[in-house]
Amino acid sequence: MSEADYQVPAVDPQRAKNRHTISAIFRVACMLVAVQAVVILIVLLTTVFVRGVDQLSWDFLTGVHRDDNPDGSGLWPAIIGSIVICLICGAAALPIGIGTAIFLEEFKPRNKALAILHNLVQLNITNLAGVPSIVYGILGLTAFVYMFGLFGTYEANKAADLEFGAQRYYQVRTAAKTFVWIPVTDKTLRVLEIEEPIAARYPDGGDFTLNVIDRGATKPTDPTVLGQTVYRGSKASIFAKHPWHYLRLPFHKSVLSAGLTLALVVLPIVIISSQESIRAVPDTMRDAGLGLGCTRWQMVRTIVLPASIPGIMTGAILAMSRAVGEAAPLLAVMGGVVGKRNAPENLMDNAAAMPITIYNWARDDNPGFWELSATAIIVLLCLLLTMNSIAILLRYWAEKKFASR
Amino acid sequence: MSSGTPVELPSALRKRRMRPSATSKRNQAFVVSLLTLCATLSIATTVGIVTILLTESFGFFSRIDLGDFLLGTEWTIGRSKNEADYKYGIWPLLLGTLRITLIAMAIAIPLGLTTAVYLSEYAPRWVRAILKPVLEILAGMPTVVLGYFAVVVITPSLLEPLGFKPYNAMSAGIAVGILCLPLVSSLAEDALQAVPRGLREAAYGLGGTRFDSVVKVVIPAAMSGIVSAFLLAFARAIGETMIVALAAGSIPTFTVDPRGPSQTMTGFIVEVFQSEDVIPGTIAYYSIYAVALTLFLLTFITTLIGQFVRRRYREAYE
Repeated sequence: MSEADYQVPAVDPQRAKNRHTISAIFRVACMLVAVQAVVILIVLLTTVFVRGVDQLSWDFLTGVHRDDNPDGSGLWPAIIGSIVICLICGAAALPIGIGTAIFLEEFKPRNKALAILHNLVQLNITNLAGVPSIVYGILGLTAFVYMFGLFGTYEANKAADLEFGAQRYYQVRTAAKTFVWIPVTDKTLRVLEIEEPIAARYPDGGDFTLNVIDRGATKPTDPTVLGQTVYRGSKASIFAKHPWHYLRLPFHKSVLSAGLTLALVVLPIVIISSQESIRAVPDTMRDAGLGLGCTRWQMVRTIVLPASIPGIMTGAILAMSRAVGEAAPLLAVMGGVVGKRNAPENLMDNAAAMPITIYNWARDDNPGFWELSATAIIVLLCLLLTMNSIAILLRYWAEKKFASR
Repeated sequence: MSSGTPVELPSALRKRRMRPSATSKRNQAFVVSLLTLCATLSIATTVGIVTILLTESFGFFSRIDLGDFLLGTEWTIGRSKNEADYKYGIWPLLLGTLRITLIAMAIAIPLGLTTAVYLSEYAPRWVRAILKPVLEILAGMPTVVLGYFAVVVITPSLLEPLGFKPYNAMSAGIAVGILCLPLVSSLAEDALQAVPRGLREAAYGLGGTRFDSVVKVVIPAAMSGIVSAFLLAFARAIGETMIVALAAGSIPTFTVDPRGPSQTMTGFIVEVFQSEDVIPGTIAYYSIYAVALTLFLLTFITTLIGQFVRRRYREAYE
């Protein structure tokens, strides 16, 4: 090439200087914008803290919601409700999510039909991650709460057609003004009129036969006998006792429905993060296992899974912390429960949850509840912070473990 | 080997159970079928969503005129007692959603992209060490918290002095923007970091400044990743529920004015669930599914376009 073929552009020192100035300004501008995120976070946390910290007390943590009085209201049922829902969600989402991740990463099929399924699942998961959580809420409502109407519609106080473990009793007042229970044989009879002696039970256990006397007859004097006696024609109304193992179909508006719906919401997150940590296991380790004559599953179980467990756990905790903060699907599945006074007693029980409580308090007409909402946010954020720190520690530990290999 | 200690066999060799026997092959077949079952569950979820939305919204579309739904400018379901007075034009809800989403994007895209550029190209280690966790905390912030923030901070201190109503689209839009900012910045940063060093060095070699390398080389090279990050954030903003339910008010308005209340598609769905007096089988009940179907289609198409952009326009380096 001769020198005439190309031309060195003339150096204009002023222009070069200008370009460097622009670059410096751009750098500062970028930094200022990036700092915005820190400013937003600080303002947010300060506001919540300043508004909410006054009401934060032991009474708030252990109390229950009161409709009229923000001062005495507490968060206890919501805390327990959130934790129960989160546990159900984890129990459903983690095995299925990790299983799917192993299927996608370790068992790539050669069979053509299975290969299509494989690609379909992978594509599908990326799409599911983008579906709004309220749509999952609607899915949960139709699938878990009503079960597509397959088991009839649910009515309050009516026995479901399919239920397990519910004990039904008629409750009746004795001549001693105490209450005793009579076991139910016919579920359709709502009110029992007692005309003759019948088998009964004390609420705290112990069977006996209920005596019947006419109105106006002389009452027995012994208090024990009096407690086993009712007047002829006394009316006993039905009620159900639901022990912890109580189950029913459809699930209706219960913590089980809520937990399963949240499991669907976080499933794509669990799958994607598990896939990433499985992919991070070096192939040499797999080859070593296969070289020793393991089957593929033995190799996965003894080599890949132990190596990727810290990463999987990290993703799982992050997914759970997402589940704890989700409100929209819960609102769809359970309705806006706020006044629940106790923790759920069985899987079919309704429950209050922290995000729902925050939402309801924040839009209450009484401004006292707005402040209380901030207090509940502090509790929720503390829980999330704890979960996130555990995840970060796990990640740190996992990185160190891998670095040594 | 001359050393005295015998080499210990690896555990996989010591354990006879680890050999491919007939039992272990049968176990493997069993496990694989279990895993396949797990994987098909995600497909079942999609099928479930689509089936439910289609069949249940059929109850809606079989009773009303599709033209009214697609072209109408009034949405009054749940507002009047009389079912005959209901108006089913989706546009107020659609416009409410788009208005809030556009405000959110106007905040999240420039801020998120600039943050990503700073993190990827400029930030020294210690700044990264602060900024990354801050973004992660913002990303994991429950949406009710951001909704609360919009109601008690953004509206009274930023917007009400400017003449905005107590519940307005702007405030919700800003909060949704804050929600999407970490998503945009982390995805865009991934895209920027995937651009090989060589391209930047070539820019410097030609006498470019760092600004030149970022704006003329790195960002164009990472464009497909950045655009798909935008689209993901867009889909997220459309589907965002709790912030709009708290901050945007609950009146569907057919306007582009961000100062007044507005209701989004998600906001309408939540309002119906909140009221709890909607009886299954009524037209108000079916309208949830019709609105949810519209919402699902909108986000689904956005996600699909995002995936298409990422695949079609990706520049592979190696």
